[in-house]
Amino acid sequence: MAPIVTDSEQPFTLSVPQSDLDFLKKKLELVRFPDELDDAGWNYGVPLSDMRRLVTHWKDKFDWRAAEADINLLPMFTRDVTVDNFGTLNIHYVHQRSEVPNAIPLLFVHGWPGHFLEARKLLSYLSAASPDHPSFHVVAPDLPGFGFSEAPTKRGFAAHQYAEVLNKLMLALGYEEYVYQGGDWGHAIGRHIATIYGHKHLKAWHSNLPIPTKPTLFAHPLAFLRDLLPYSRTTREGLRATAEYRATGMGYLAEQSTKPQTIGYLIADSPVGLLAWIYEKLVEWSDSYPWTDDEVLEWVSIYWFSRAGPAASLRIYYEMAGGSGRLEKGAAKGAKWTSVPLGLSYFPRELFHLPKWWAPTLGKVVYAEEHDEGGHFAAYEQPGALAEDLRRMFGRRGPAYGVVPGKNGYASIGSRREAVNSQ
Amino acid sequence: MGSWAKPFTVAVPDADLELLHKKLELATFPDELQDAGWDYGAPLADIKRLTAYWKDSFDWRKAEKAINELPQFTTDIEVDGFGSLNIHFVHQKSKVENAIPLLFVHGWPGQFLEVRKLLPILTAGSPDHPSFHVVAPSLPGFGFSEAPNKPGFGGFQYAEVVNKLMLSLGYDEYAYQGGDMGHIVGVYATNAYGNRHIKAWHTNMPLYRAPTLFSNPLLFLEMLTTPFNKRMQEQLAPAQRFQTKGRGYFLLQSTKPQTLGYSLADSPVGLLAWIYEKLYESVDNYPFTEDEVLEWISIHWFSRAGPAASPRMYYGLTSGNERELFDGTRWTSTPLGVAFFPGEPARLPKSWVHTIGKVVFQSEHDAGGHFAAFEQPAKLAGDLRKMFGKGGPVYGIVPGKDGYA
Repeated sequence: MAPIVTDSEQPFTLSVPQSDLDFLKKKLELVRFPDELDDAGWNYGVPLSDMRRLVTHWKDKFDWRAAEADINLLPMFTRDVTVDNFGTLNIHYVHQRSEVPNAIPLLFVHGWPGHFLEARKLLSYLSAASPDHPSFHVVAPDLPGFGFSEAPTKRGFAAHQYAEVLNKLMLALGYEEYVYQGGDWGHAIGRHIATIYGHKHLKAWHSNLPIPTKPTLFAHPLAFLRDLLPYSRTTREGLRATAEYRATGMGYLAEQSTKPQTIGYLIADSPVGLLAWIYEKLVEWSDSYPWTDDEVLEWVSIYWFSRAGPAASLRIYYEMAGGSGRLEKGAAKGAKWTSVPLGLSYFPRELFHLPKWWAPTLGKVVYAEEHDEGGHFAAYEQPGALAEDLRRMFGRRGPAYGVVPGKNGYASIGSRREAVNSQ
Repeated sequence: MGSWAKPFTVAVPDADLELLHKKLELATFPDELQDAGWDYGAPLADIKRLTAYWKDSFDWRKAEKAINELPQFTTDIEVDGFGSLNIHFVHQKSKVENAIPLLFVHGWPGQFLEVRKLLPILTAGSPDHPSFHVVAPSLPGFGFSEAPNKPGFGGFQYAEVVNKLMLSLGYDEYAYQGGDMGHIVGVYATNAYGNRHIKAWHTNMPLYRAPTLFSNPLLFLEMLTTPFNKRMQEQLAPAQRFQTKGRGYFLLQSTKPQTLGYSLADSPVGLLAWIYEKLYESVDNYPFTEDEVLEWISIHWFSRAGPAASPRMYYGLTSGNERELFDGTRWTSTPLGVAFFPGEPARLPKSWVHTIGKVVFQSEHDAGGHFAAFEQPAKLAGDLRKMFGKGGPVYGIVPGKDGYA
């Protein structure tokens, strides 16, 4: 394994050049809107009235400097991480330590169209100290090509590389053993980290977008047999919602998996185009989350001002599909079932609702929780609920308690004895 | 039915030209992976070069002047349930009075100028070949035609517009030629008006019943495992390529054309990339000049309904990807000619053309791709001459208009 670059960690302050802000405003001033079909609603994509309102707000009211100042209250850093055959990438991350020294190191991984700020609301929950629940040291990076991390410049940066860069980041921070939480790409990458670094470094992980496969007789006989029985109405509805999403909601995915550069021109040149491209997902994929214009524009501004530009973030779809255009197959290729303890959270407005008894095909499921609110952006929409799931999974009575040796997340002196007693 | 046709001149306002130039001056490009080639989409060098040319060298007013040498008109066409649409079209008559009326329908991302090179050939009079009066509209939502403003404008509506256009010009019986969406509209048009108004038709993209091609990969893979011979497998390979690597734009435009439309309307660079990718990938090594590309893109940029309107056609034809492209249509007995061009990416096994209609003419060419009228006008015109000429399978099919003096 190539040596991790010597400690290159620098504190990171977000500071978008004024010329970039002025340039954005110039572009917004030249906006040319399309028309819209009568009564289109959300049927054809983002409604025109939403776009007009958001663009005006972005141009005239949205205060990026205030947002930037707030973001800079987060403990952020960058450091160089070397990836085999790809050279050194400078990775941006939030590193929120808990005051509990033996807090559990947790790597939080966002997806698309997400970024590091998705972890923001979780930080105070997870790092809070209490005798009643475990505490975590949270590391929330920007994936390469997203936010303020560098992007790879060569083709082929795929599952193995994402897993490598993230694992090396945790090791560089001194976290030889850690746990993991992710959804969207965070889920897919989690599977690969479990496959490559499971048990040795990754001790347990949690996903809020479980995409299991159909159980087979030999691999998962009980689940297979259960699958032969008629599906309940809830399961059928979930499958229908999944099919509906597949039919009408995956155009972006087909395009990004095959022609990310072409779409890249659209969203790199037009902030309005970028806004529509991302805002559509923020609304359609969340559970009626009451987005404020400021929240949306802060989110999209991260993409607009991102280090590698917005087009770079799309390439993960192409690379994970192996250039074959077949993402669902490609993203899981090489990921194996492991016995690394796995926790799952089911949020009702998530995009995929596959039968819950398929979950064991993903790994050794030790925890599963169902919620009645929340969608795809669980950490942002339902931080309390997600944090609660993690606390339960890793807490004293939880199935993954003490999974990181010496770091059970509690401050109490007797914690080690209790850990021994509970086994 | 419709008002008389009014002459039309393309006259893009100065303000629109200025806005375009302001935007081009602020053009912002993404980076690109090393050795990306065309694998990830249109290459950065191409887009930068074309953008620079558009900004500094392309003379729209000169192109506009040349376009205005074509005989263009507009007329109002009433569409059941959708009100009146003002339709733009080229109408080039032949000197031969009994020339065959021919409706030429473009596709996406095409536009009416695709007919341009065909006009002098098709309208020429000679004892050796038939002559045609050519009508080439801009489809609703394209070029200088109005777009429908209500949802639900589907295949039969597009067919209704073009048929009524021909009737409004006094062409009660006529011939039809199309590729891409022009072929698809042709299927709907012959279903609705075949034999009665459309006496014969010709396609350079003979597809039909394409659920396997466009929306049903499982069926498609199943077919590959049946005992076809190697040649059949070769014939199915283009369709498989489309299914895995080529259908992103189709699925996106069929489901979220409005979201896509914001970039297409706001970014000339984005619009350029979106269309140029298709132009490059679909032709048979056609040596596009910068002027040709930018004139083509400019028609979309300056289109009457804006560039976000034309992608809606995909949504309209598939009801938002809830139905197959050809649902509601069937095989018709209207005599059909098909042309196979080697560079056409949208291909199915040749034997499948008989599922479309009553094939009376077939031709196989050694050059040319998807935009046949633009790339190989002589070959395409040659097909029409053979098909409709003396000794051809549909000679004299339009009563009183055999195309000869």
